[in-house]
Amino acid sequence: MASALTLWTVIVVVGTLNYLSRLSFIAFFSRRAMPPLLARALRYVPAAMLTALVLPMIVSAPTLHSLATPRVLAAAVGAVVGFATRNTLATVTAGMTALWLLQAIIH
Amino acid sequence: MRHIVTSADFREGFAEMLPACVGLIPFGLVTGVAAANAGADFFAALGMSLIIFSGAAQILASQLLAEGAPVAVVVLTCFVAGLRFLMYSAAMAPYLKPLPPRWQNALAFLLTDQAFAASIRRFDATQDPRGGALHFLGGGLALWGCWQITNVIGFLAGNLVPASWSLDFAVPLCFIALVAPLLRTPPALVAAASAGIAVFALAGLPMKLNLIAAGIVGIVAGTLFDFARERWPAR
Repeated sequence: MASALTLWTVIVVVGTLNYLSRLSFIAFFSRRAMPPLLARALRYVPAAMLTALVLPMIVSAPTLHSLATPRVLAAAVGAVVGFATRNTLATVTAGMTALWLLQAIIH
Repeated sequence: MRHIVTSADFREGFAEMLPACVGLIPFGLVTGVAAANAGADFFAALGMSLIIFSGAAQILASQLLAEGAPVAVVVLTCFVAGLRFLMYSAAMAPYLKPLPPRWQNALAFLLTDQAFAASIRRFDATQDPRGGALHFLGGGLALWGCWQITNVIGFLAGNLVPASWSLDFAVPLCFIALVAPLLRTPPALVAAASAGIAVFALAGLPMKLNLIAAGIVGIVAGTLFDFARERWPAR
């Protein structure tokens, strides 16, 4: 249990740092030209960073055994639908339906 | 103000984010519960979701505070968890450059994983800074509003969604929906595959630094592959 002062200190400091992180390069490059190499590398931020974020949410450590789970298979279904349709609602619907079906089959 | 909210770009951004908002419901509830467990009163819990506006940072802060960790440790851990915002900010910078500073400042506040990926896709597709900004604002506000509501409900009522529904799985599915369509070019595939291998190979790093490290590995690999392909084109 944290005191009110501790809590609000954390809220203000973390909130400020979070905002400054989000604003950092938007503000920095709003008055300067971006080096071409950096601009090129930044094109791969979404593919690399989102993959790094999402995989540990699906499987904690990839082994042959852990790859044959309903979550991994449902994620694969979601990935195929997402690739084909580029539609968030279709991806989430397909992935959740696959997960529920696979869980029902196993139980 | 009215012409912003009634613009087609704003409305499309808002509507396109609604599936992601549904996916975030379990995450928001859990984050509200974590704030209650850390001893936050209603206003402190609301302050966390309003001001910090980051699920990972809020949950980490709540857990560490509940364990009695020092403020400096909480702040450092949350900052490290948010390092990817620096990369998002840099990737977003060229698209927001033509906009007035107050738009840049406002949109920066709404820069989340979901809003970043959705709006960068829009900016790329339309090459229209003003329309892209309105689309970003619409999607960002949809997420922000949904986040406040689900956090408050989680704080007041606890986790209402039964675990057996596995609704938490909607969060990775939303990320998959954002990343899968990007994997159409070889360098993007190389970037994603390298990041995917690195995030598990580097899992031993403290404070979840493997996430940002794997992101950097993926970006470097994708960029190098891009250059190699240009230098030695396939015959």
